[in-house]
Amino acid sequence: MHESDGSDVSRRGVVKGIGGLAALSMSNATFADAKAAMTSPLQSDPHTADTYRAIVDAIVPRTPQLEDELGPEHVPGGVDVGLEKFLIWDFNHFQEIRAEMVTEKTHLLGGVFEADEPSGPEMERSLFELSLDLTQYGSTVDALFDLLDVSLLGLDVDGDALQEYLTLGPIERFEISFSDFEALTEGPAEFELVVETANETVHRVLQNYPYAALFTIVFDIVAAEFLVLGKNEDPVSVNEQFPAGGTFARLSREDRLRCLWSIVDGGLIDTLDEVLSPLVPDLGILKYVVMAVNGLHGFGYYTEWAGLGDTKTNMPTEREMQKDPSQVQSRQQTDYPGPSPGYAADWRHAVPDGFADPDVEDLDLPDDLTGDDVVDGIGGDT
Amino acid sequence: MRDPDVVVVGAGADGPAAASRLAREHGLDVLILEGGPWHGNEKWPEPHADAGGTVSTDPDDLDGELLDEQFTHREADANDPTYGYLRVGPADHSRAPWFRNLHQNAFIWQVGAVGGTSLHYFANHPRAYPHAIDEQGHWPIDYEDLVPYYQLNEEVTSTQQAPMTAKEEVFIEGATNAGYERLDTKNVTSTGWRPQANAVSVPGKETTTGEPLDSEYEGSFSYDDGFRGDTLAGDHFQGGSTPVDAPVREKARKSANVSWVPRALDTNEEPNAGNVAIRPNAFVTDIETNEGLGTTEATGVTFRDSWSGSSQTVSADAVVLAAGCIESPRLWLNSGLPDDGWVGKGLTTHWFDWIVGVYDDETVAEINPESDHMDPYIGQNSAVRFDKPGVGGLEDIGMSPGLVSYADYLFSDAGYSFDTPVDPGEPWDTRGFVVGEELKRRMANYRQTKALLVLTDDQPHQENGVSLDTTFADEHGPVPKVRYEPREEDDARRDELARIAANIHREAGASHVHRCEWPPLLLHMQSSMRMGKVLDQNAEAKNVSRLFVADHSAMANGLGGPNPTNTGQALALRTADKIGQLYF
Repeated sequence: MHESDGSDVSRRGVVKGIGGLAALSMSNATFADAKAAMTSPLQSDPHTADTYRAIVDAIVPRTPQLEDELGPEHVPGGVDVGLEKFLIWDFNHFQEIRAEMVTEKTHLLGGVFEADEPSGPEMERSLFELSLDLTQYGSTVDALFDLLDVSLLGLDVDGDALQEYLTLGPIERFEISFSDFEALTEGPAEFELVVETANETVHRVLQNYPYAALFTIVFDIVAAEFLVLGKNEDPVSVNEQFPAGGTFARLSREDRLRCLWSIVDGGLIDTLDEVLSPLVPDLGILKYVVMAVNGLHGFGYYTEWAGLGDTKTNMPTEREMQKDPSQVQSRQQTDYPGPSPGYAADWRHAVPDGFADPDVEDLDLPDDLTGDDVVDGIGGDT
Repeated sequence: MRDPDVVVVGAGADGPAAASRLAREHGLDVLILEGGPWHGNEKWPEPHADAGGTVSTDPDDLDGELLDEQFTHREADANDPTYGYLRVGPADHSRAPWFRNLHQNAFIWQVGAVGGTSLHYFANHPRAYPHAIDEQGHWPIDYEDLVPYYQLNEEVTSTQQAPMTAKEEVFIEGATNAGYERLDTKNVTSTGWRPQANAVSVPGKETTTGEPLDSEYEGSFSYDDGFRGDTLAGDHFQGGSTPVDAPVREKARKSANVSWVPRALDTNEEPNAGNVAIRPNAFVTDIETNEGLGTTEATGVTFRDSWSGSSQTVSADAVVLAAGCIESPRLWLNSGLPDDGWVGKGLTTHWFDWIVGVYDDETVAEINPESDHMDPYIGQNSAVRFDKPGVGGLEDIGMSPGLVSYADYLFSDAGYSFDTPVDPGEPWDTRGFVVGEELKRRMANYRQTKALLVLTDDQPHQENGVSLDTTFADEHGPVPKVRYEPREEDDARRDELARIAANIHREAGASHVHRCEWPPLLLHMQSSMRMGKVLDQNAEAKNVSRLFVADHSAMANGLGGPNPTNTGQALALRTADKIGQLYF
């Protein structure tokens, strides 16, 4: 059995973690406490957590206004059950990167392979590594543009306009790298994720590609371009509910969703193509991610997941229900009693004598459907 | 099994049917290699945590109570695409699922395991529309060629008319009021409604009290207490393993792990048959071939053990691909076999849509005086349908609330309902994603809500399907890249069916009708290794001899819209006979 993700935190990471424990209010933190905090699977950096909270808040909000109409059980929403943790966990377990498929080769060097190197398809190491240090640049956009390997002249995006709106909240440094790349031979490659703010550093080791945090950076950039293009319908303001969020979390509830939808339908990804390319291993997946961001609310909120209590982000084989599925918050809202071995219900057969099923020699099928409204003249490729 | 005659790649819905017939009718030894786990087999007591055994040949290895333990019937536990026990990924649940690259707002919903995607299917076993096979010009064989195999498959899978419960009565009210006739045949050539032909035992065939299964029934639903048949538990998407305590082969819903797998293993105890061995956790990565004079001939396969990582090669006199519409072409392409432009292409998906009806208590009570609610979680998940050959069909569906919230309100290609106007001429009230206060309000009506699935007779187009991804590779090589975009004529058919569905809801008295306008949901997949293109009339590859395809990808089109499993299994049985006749 593998341990839970983040269990193999390097000593360097733990020490850095202690520096950031102010956020955890652990005045007498021991090294063991610090390591426990560091390895907790719930340990997301504040920007990541607040960005997903902002999405959850838009899709399954608290609804005090429903109390009179439907009852007090309909008030709490997704943030009340920590649904952002469900989204973060799923995105961080979305894709395993196999060490045996990663190569040091870069397209700039076009190196020749040694005979003992793996044959077949390789993925370049650089596809999965990212270092964004905002403290070294005048602005977030400058830091992003410095990652580009194309001339700024050809960009579809107006950097100055983007900078007017773009903030990654408190993030000063954001890094994704292979954990101990030299030691990689085969199997799932582990990744180190470092998210540093002025007063804390979250440093985690994850077994899969750390998409959850990466997507929140993308959402902030898309949100800035969304504002540049004037696609927002409501004013922008710092949201006290999501203090560590960036541009995205400052949009109104509906604008957050309009912003996400602009990735699928609105061409924003085309405009931002060059800016986002260095960040995301494959930009094309972002439309799929928008599907998932919406859909996972169904798989998380309206299922029994919230009833897993403190095991809800454990590895799947180590999750346990801590309340009856029928007692989960969403089940109170949908009035679903949870799974049952069977139901005493009335039923009947609609065709008294069963379906006609002549043997093949007695089949007498009409050879066309004329008169039955067949849509004419549309064949596929035959 | 050291020296199989035939190796089958994949133990999903179709592979075990082909293997059983090869052993039973042709006396052959068949090894099935399955990339995913095996649930309910005592050789793998903890299939997601531990490597367990290697291969199983003994029907006594099947353990229904173990299956009950593994299939908890909890929604997230079962169906979460990342960590659920029904996912496409390695059996080891400390690992991520297998990645498929999809550059669109779309969702692929398959299951990788012994039983394959039939582990979460509703067991709907309609036959193809004869029109789609005989009149559309794609198929090199006739509908009549399939009929005897349909009959065999329907017998083995207990296919029969499904029970009508409260939600179906509401559908029947709507369809009848809309003027549609009841169809009483399996060979559908006209428009109308009918109960589904489902691969599920009759409800309460025997009960523990001797009283019939109805709303007054107070007995147990346990096999050990004497219950037999369907329990009306609506558990199909979570694995469908009721009745509890029943042996695997006595579970009511006849997914392939319940029907064809035990039947295939039984051959090991029958002196006049060949033998079938099934090895899970064995992902095939390469098709071995011999290059002859102007011909290529399949000689075996190489597979990788998903727990140990070690690979080995198995030789056979024939190779059968049954890995599904995505993995069969991916394996072909990763094996470097010839591609004439149709390998992986021509994918059809029934270009689904989803039309939701919300009903008020009085309307439901009028139709069902005995029950206050439709309770979409009671009964079989999909038990009644509408057919319109040449256009497609509809299915009435009830599910548990997580799946319902996703399907009804959180999966759309039309944007958010607050920004998505409705044409006043259309028969629905809202379209698109439903979120926020409105989502919670509608989900509060869950017990009076049900949906109609639109299944379009979408046509095979060469631009749709599977190719090798150029960005990502996993331990099995470049990952599959999947693309599906309907053409205008597919949209036209879908729109027509959506209007019919909305009208049926209206005629039943729905107070609110919502059209989702789903993006592609790749759940029914057909025709990515089509007969007539990649395959000949025997389902043998035109460019590689001794290589056959026996899964839904072999179909020449989408059957006109009916669910593909009954046809996939019937075709696999026919292909097994062709293999036996041609090479043994």
